[in-house]
Amino acid sequence: MAMRNYDTIIHDLEPRKFGLGGVIWTSVLIVIVIIGIIAYIDQIIKGQVVTNMRDYALWGIYISNFVFFVATSFVGSITVAVLRLTNNTWRTPLVRIAEIITLAAIVMAGLTIMIDMGRPDRLLNLFIHARLQSPITWDVIIVPTSIAISFLLLYFPLLPDLAILKKHFQKSKPKLSKWYGRLALNWTGSKEQKAVQTKSIMIIALMIIPVGILLQTIDAWLFSTTYRIGWDSTNMGAYFISGAFVAGVGALITVVYLIRRIRHLETYITDYHFDKMGKLLVLACLTYLYFNINEYLLPIFTAPVQEDIHLDALVFGEHAPIFWFSQIIGLFLPIIILIFKKGRKPLPMFIVGIMVVVGSWWKRYVIVTPTLLHPFLPIEGVPESWHHYFPSLHEWLITAATMAMAFLIITLMVRYLPVIPIQRTIEEQELLTPDKNTES
Amino acid sequence: MKGPIKFHFFIILIVGMFLSNTGFHNVNAQNPKKNKIRLKVDYVKIMNEEIYFNIKASSKIGKDNVNVANIELAIYNEIDDEEIELGTTTTNMNGESRFVISDLSTIRPDSTNTYNIGVSFNGNQSFKKASKSISFKEAHIEAKLIKKDSLNYITATLKDASKDSLISGASLTVQLERLFLPLFVGEEFYITDENGMITALLEDGIPGMDGNLNIEVVMSDNEVYGTVKDKLIAPVGTPIIDESTFDERTMWSPNNKTPLFLLIFPNLIIAGMWGLIIYLVFNLFKIYKLKN
Repeated sequence: MAMRNYDTIIHDLEPRKFGLGGVIWTSVLIVIVIIGIIAYIDQIIKGQVVTNMRDYALWGIYISNFVFFVATSFVGSITVAVLRLTNNTWRTPLVRIAEIITLAAIVMAGLTIMIDMGRPDRLLNLFIHARLQSPITWDVIIVPTSIAISFLLLYFPLLPDLAILKKHFQKSKPKLSKWYGRLALNWTGSKEQKAVQTKSIMIIALMIIPVGILLQTIDAWLFSTTYRIGWDSTNMGAYFISGAFVAGVGALITVVYLIRRIRHLETYITDYHFDKMGKLLVLACLTYLYFNINEYLLPIFTAPVQEDIHLDALVFGEHAPIFWFSQIIGLFLPIIILIFKKGRKPLPMFIVGIMVVVGSWWKRYVIVTPTLLHPFLPIEGVPESWHHYFPSLHEWLITAATMAMAFLIITLMVRYLPVIPIQRTIEEQELLTPDKNTES
Repeated sequence: MKGPIKFHFFIILIVGMFLSNTGFHNVNAQNPKKNKIRLKVDYVKIMNEEIYFNIKASSKIGKDNVNVANIELAIYNEIDDEEIELGTTTTNMNGESRFVISDLSTIRPDSTNTYNIGVSFNGNQSFKKASKSISFKEAHIEAKLIKKDSLNYITATLKDASKDSLISGASLTVQLERLFLPLFVGEEFYITDENGMITALLEDGIPGMDGNLNIEVVMSDNEVYGTVKDKLIAPVGTPIIDESTFDERTMWSPNNKTPLFLLIFPNLIIAGMWGLIIYLVFNLFKIYKLKN
């Protein structure tokens, strides 16, 4: 990055008002959210009969969407915590965006799981009658825990930036400055404050890795502790963690590219950063590919009849288009593209990011629904339509609304928060100046 | 003048139709055909316990045999030409009812020591009147457990209570009381000898709760004596070891019986994580206070 002075950095990184595109984008998201809320109210009034979930396909896109959000939230553990603990300084311009994605994804995961509940008014019963033997209870505990830590992960490093913004907007936007001041918690950058902040960030960075792994593992165990074809696997925990690695980094690349382009941050987020993220993503994809081979190849040798039917339906049958789409678009092609240096340039990376995110979403669908349609005992005594599952209009509208809501949270945070840490960038700039001879 | 005549005729016709409205109804109303009810009555006596009549009401409607539910039946003790009402009972949804009497001394036999019981239904909108009578004599079964040459046997003696005489040539069943259906002991049935007795070998190794076998000796649906049953507990079975995990801490038990390792480790993790989260929130307050 070229040398830039304090004012230029603040000017470049300060939150900006939406342009026309931003207003249209936000309005469209709000409309989708409102339509989704109406559909959800209708679902509450009429019951889950408005969905296409029935006796056998009792988990549909709500659950696969939930698993996707949970997976995406893993980006915080990877990019922020792991890269911090391994002293990878190239993370600086990317961490804030990763933190925002993490918080948005985990909040939406919590909401999505409630949407799947037939009686959301009985939510408290999950706590009152909690059984620690049940992975559902672990999930009920870990999701709010992750929300709390993700919030703290975003908030602690923000404090110096909020104080800078308070000062910066004091004359031009006094009201906004007041809000930044309140949120900055009297941050002056004193030694004592910095000591508490540094210690807290270190604790969060250490915490979010096991919490992230727990979250992904519990999510996997929701499936693997159920004796079902395709889920009954000891591979599931690691399989989900590697899948979350892919989904998280894929989402990060996509959002980083868009923000960089819209906010003209090419000086701060360079090709070098995309190259690094590309390498991280290809590592994630290769790891995930390894676990996919474990997950689908071994049953070919050892499968009982039912597992064989299930695999056949995935590879050649009813679910083959989605299965191959998620494997080829979401995994094989990204690996091939990212192996080459040219593939790790911003635009190809953006395309790869979208491929990975869309592939990851459908991969969750492949994990959740086909298994339910292949029970050990034959499906009997139900209408023919219950042998198959395709989401209803209500399910699509509500799921689209959850996605729109996640985008809306990200958009609003990008609007009001500095997407690249200002203080950290300034400090790194100071380190680069010839007369300074200090180390971080 | 053709017109006014036609008009008057038309008015009279309409008024007539209104006035004779009820009449029309009567003409059009269907006279519903009532169905016949078939009553089945069984007399059952359990020695030293209760005596009851199992009653079942059914009807053939169309091609189907239908159980008749919720009908009131009167039970009578018939002695010569006299009928003494014992009480009433109502059929359940399966068309069944059980009328219990505490003791046979509450009813009177006729001059031949035969008890005559009548069950009648008074009819309703859907079903015709119906009645059914049964006759029976009182019999006693006395079952015993005996041990001979270290083998266990069940013996039973069948008596006609009215004459205090032994009944020979009657068919008795020895069975074990089980949850769904009884389990036969030895032969399917035994015929009483000239002493009114049967003997059935009780094999070793039959499982029972605490080693107790609930034995029943039954005379089923006898033409003269009905169904008579005697029960005894034979403490000669192999005790069933209760393998239920109901009271244990298992992965499938309710939350008050969670396995200890699942109570300790997850709670430690939860306490650790939330302890740190609270500490971090506290640090935010600390930063707020450390402004200078």
